[in-house]
Amino acid sequence: MSKTTRVPFWLIRFRNFLVLLLSNRLAAVGMFLLLMFVVMAAAAPLLTPYRPTGNAVSANYDPPTWITLINGPVGYSQNAQFSALSVNMSSSGLATIPTKTGNSVALDFAGSSPGGTVQITETLSYPYQGSPKQIIGDAMILIPGSGALNKSFNVTAYVNRIGVSRFLFWSPTTINKTGTYNPSPAINSGNPAFNSQLGIGQQFSAANYVFAAEKANYQYVLTISVPAGFSGRINVSSFDLNLFGNTWGIFGTDDAGHDIFTQVVYGARLSLEVGLVATGIGIGLGLLIGLMAGYLGKIVDEVLMRTTDMLLVIPFLPLLIVLVATIGPSLIYIILLIGFFSWMGFARVIRSQVLSLRERPFIEAAKASGAGTGYITVRHIFPNIVSLTYVNLALTVPASIVTEAALSFLGLGDPTVITWGSMLGAANSVGATVSNLAWWWILPPGLSIALISLAFILLGYAMDELFNPRLRRRR
Amino acid sequence: MGLRGYLVKRLLNTVVLVIFVIILNFVIFELLPGPNGAIANLTGRAKGNPQAIHNLQLQLGLCQSFDSNGKCIPPSLWSKFFVYFQNMLTFNFGQSQQTGNSVLHDMIGTGRLWNTLELLGTATAISLIVGILLGVVVAARRGGVFDSTMVTVSLTTFSLPTFFMGLLLILVFALYLPWFPSGGVTPSTWLLGTPPLLQQILTRIRYLFLPALTLTLFFYGGNLLLTRATMGEALTEDYITTARAKGLPERTVLFKHALRNASLPIVTNAALAFGGILGGAIITETVFNWDGLGLWLYNAIYWHDFPVLQAMFYIIALCVIGANLVSDIVYGMIDPRIKYE
Repeated sequence: MSKTTRVPFWLIRFRNFLVLLLSNRLAAVGMFLLLMFVVMAAAAPLLTPYRPTGNAVSANYDPPTWITLINGPVGYSQNAQFSALSVNMSSSGLATIPTKTGNSVALDFAGSSPGGTVQITETLSYPYQGSPKQIIGDAMILIPGSGALNKSFNVTAYVNRIGVSRFLFWSPTTINKTGTYNPSPAINSGNPAFNSQLGIGQQFSAANYVFAAEKANYQYVLTISVPAGFSGRINVSSFDLNLFGNTWGIFGTDDAGHDIFTQVVYGARLSLEVGLVATGIGIGLGLLIGLMAGYLGKIVDEVLMRTTDMLLVIPFLPLLIVLVATIGPSLIYIILLIGFFSWMGFARVIRSQVLSLRERPFIEAAKASGAGTGYITVRHIFPNIVSLTYVNLALTVPASIVTEAALSFLGLGDPTVITWGSMLGAANSVGATVSNLAWWWILPPGLSIALISLAFILLGYAMDELFNPRLRRRR
Repeated sequence: MGLRGYLVKRLLNTVVLVIFVIILNFVIFELLPGPNGAIANLTGRAKGNPQAIHNLQLQLGLCQSFDSNGKCIPPSLWSKFFVYFQNMLTFNFGQSQQTGNSVLHDMIGTGRLWNTLELLGTATAISLIVGILLGVVVAARRGGVFDSTMVTVSLTTFSLPTFFMGLLLILVFALYLPWFPSGGVTPSTWLLGTPPLLQQILTRIRYLFLPALTLTLFFYGGNLLLTRATMGEALTEDYITTARAKGLPERTVLFKHALRNASLPIVTNAALAFGGILGGAIITETVFNWDGLGLWLYNAIYWHDFPVLQAMFYIIALCVIGANLVSDIVYGMIDPRIKYE
């Protein structure tokens, strides 16, 4: 045989195999779905800027924003934030501004100031036709140094719906000492004290009282009134008002305001990891045990197959449940356990295939020409069972993924990660009253599990048809 | 070896399996550090009346006796296993840590077992009937539009996990179309007084509907696909051609000639799939708050109630082993071709 450079044989075979496989329509669909999830898993950090276990991104139970395409824009809002602040003074020389950023500013008052007011203003042109679900604001005054000030000054903050009305957010407060000052009650529409300061009942929220369900222009204003001769520095920091809308992102938010899209995207990683690693372990064990039982035969075969039969009868999910409940929930244990209990069926298939191969003439011939057990196994038996391995791989992966999801659903998943199963489990357990069940929290993870399983099952069935001559004939 | 030999062999096999399950249970619940480790730690570090602690340790089986210094002599592995084995054979599972009642009472006396049997029985029966009937029809029209539609639909319902299917059904049929209750076995108002019998039955069926549908959708697909496959094989046999040539009606050919011969793998599969259905039932009961053994197991996980966990695993394993034995016996009796090796 001449050794010229050419495409390796296995590569050609693999390519031919792929072409043949993908000529089956269902297999092509399966491959497309699988590629979609692989891309999702690989490019997770590019697809979403958030982390699955990160902070809340919006109000809780927000449906996706595209719901406005179905129901129309009326009544729906999204997150909004006021612009960077600008400073206006009643007289131009009142204070100097040494530093100023988007939401903080420092004001220096010389002792010679004539007195007057400084207005710090942020603006918002509210574009939505629904009120926000929640508003959370901040306004912090920090006076550095220690001891009393030379003169006291007043501070107040309000929101102004331009041309309509004004809402007091920080009732006028006199400050005469150094230190840190925050509005009290805290600016949060979830805070009953804040709502009652605005003069609305406990059952109402400042969010829809202040921000009407229509497009309008708003100002968020902090006023500092200093008397003549006031000297010193006043730092205004984190002067901000965040409006959390009642819709969010592609898949909305869960019960704590986390981004569901992020959890789904990162869940693809975990699911593929669980499915492939557990199946890898299962296939490896199955190959080893099946080959040993089939090829060594006799007492080895008897012992291995009796054990396999016994393990096959033991109900798989309940066994996993008690094992994980006793050992402790951790993703690694779960993967190992699923892998360790998914080899039995495959081992039986391999054993029967090896038993039939062992009697074939080409094995006899190899034996006769002096080939050892290892050589025969690797060069003659193994290539003949590769197709079985592919089929089994494709059908075991979804089983592993669904098993992990079931464990997570039952609350036995790794508590440090968020998988599709644990998302559904959380949705189910907080949805004790059915009206809490959010479709946008159930459909994305559920459909993901279903589609990823379907992808593997379609590929598996197509390969089965490809490799199984009896099925091929009848098509 | 005749049929009797075959049955004896199967029975022996079953006994070995039961012993295997008891050993597995023993390893998981007595040897792994989880459940007993915590208790041993607690009693080992307890301060107070030494006599009371000793009594507790004796009672929990942590110590067999005490030497002259009051030091604990733990029981040997064998004596521990012997006691455990006895307990398992006599269904003595100890007390539930949630309720303090005996585990067996909580399992049967509270109606949980009945609730689970009601759900499982309904779903298994319907899915077998529907799966087999549809499978026969589909096999008769192999290659047609109905065939490919049914195969796709059953592959889809097959790959939808039970918990997702359950949540979907609740969303559609309990939340958006409020036709059925979203969970529970009976309405809570029944605690005050039960309505007349007919109304009771109707209400129970309304409560049973969604969980049973979930389990049925999970299970019928396998039956359908298997029936389609075995029927497909049987329909190519010569005796079918003969039957058709005789001019028998197609229904007779399908159900009397083909299905009868194709039914063996279906019977076996129904028994083998029993473990899977039990797993599905645990999840379905959790989704629908169905107060059966599955929900009990779910709560036991949450409360780390190990006596309940161990009892449940043992009972489920026994059920599956029993189902296998029954299917083996049925197989041995109805299949004339079987070689009693």
